[in-house]
Amino acid sequence: MPDDLDGDLLDRFVQGDQAAFEGLFRQFETEVFRWILRIVRDRSAAEDVLVEAFWRAYRGRARFDPSRSFGAWMRRIATNAAIDHVKATRSQAGWRTADDTLRAPAGPDRAVAEAISVVFHSLPVRLRVVATLALIEDQPLAEIAEAMHLPIGTVKSRVFRAVRILRKELARLGIHP
Amino acid sequence: MIEHDRLARLLRDAVPPSTAQAPSRDLWPAVTSRGHSPVSWTWFDLGMAAAVVIVLSAFPDWLWLLAYHL
Repeated sequence: MPDDLDGDLLDRFVQGDQAAFEGLFRQFETEVFRWILRIVRDRSAAEDVLVEAFWRAYRGRARFDPSRSFGAWMRRIATNAAIDHVKATRSQAGWRTADDTLRAPAGPDRAVAEAISVVFHSLPVRLRVVATLALIEDQPLAEIAEAMHLPIGTVKSRVFRAVRILRKELARLGIHP
Repeated sequence: MIEHDRLARLLRDAVPPSTAQAPSRDLWPAVTSRGHSPVSWTWFDLGMAAAVVIVLSAFPDWLWLLAYHL
């Protein structure tokens, strides 16, 4: 995320200046949106979560230290908001993507893809989010750790556990990746 | 790691990576109006409010205790 920000802009944001907040929003919205979309995997939901995340940031502005990276702070807030969304929609049938641009394969591989998708979506949220970012979105573990405010060892361990569960469940269905 | 890669490839086939580049509309108005949206009550909030009313009807003297804590 770009973070060569004017210190005065950040100070004004902390003091509640709405123009400064809009300036930060305009500068970071696309990056934050992409990050959220990687987690919630639904364009419309990602837009709602983006609004919620920036609103949380504005509400919690007094806790922001202007000498630190706004981008990293914003990404942590966005990650929490996205995880809250995934948890809230967990019981609903479709955590699957509603994004028309993301299509599962057709043909004989479709059944395997469906099975993998179902097993993947049955992972516990904290494992699934890490696995989504690491295995599907190919994000560096260090970035995931920073965004989730976790030690990198915990992120590695969650990826490992997610992979182990996936292998076990897929093997039960006769799929051996 | 190679095994991880194979699983990751299968996963990406089944659950493709995100591709959208930007929000489909200007979301700034939604952020500003978010601050003016009415407070929504959850079932927990309603339950707490109901419990306070019931307890205070049974023990009116506890109102002073509640007022002290507020």
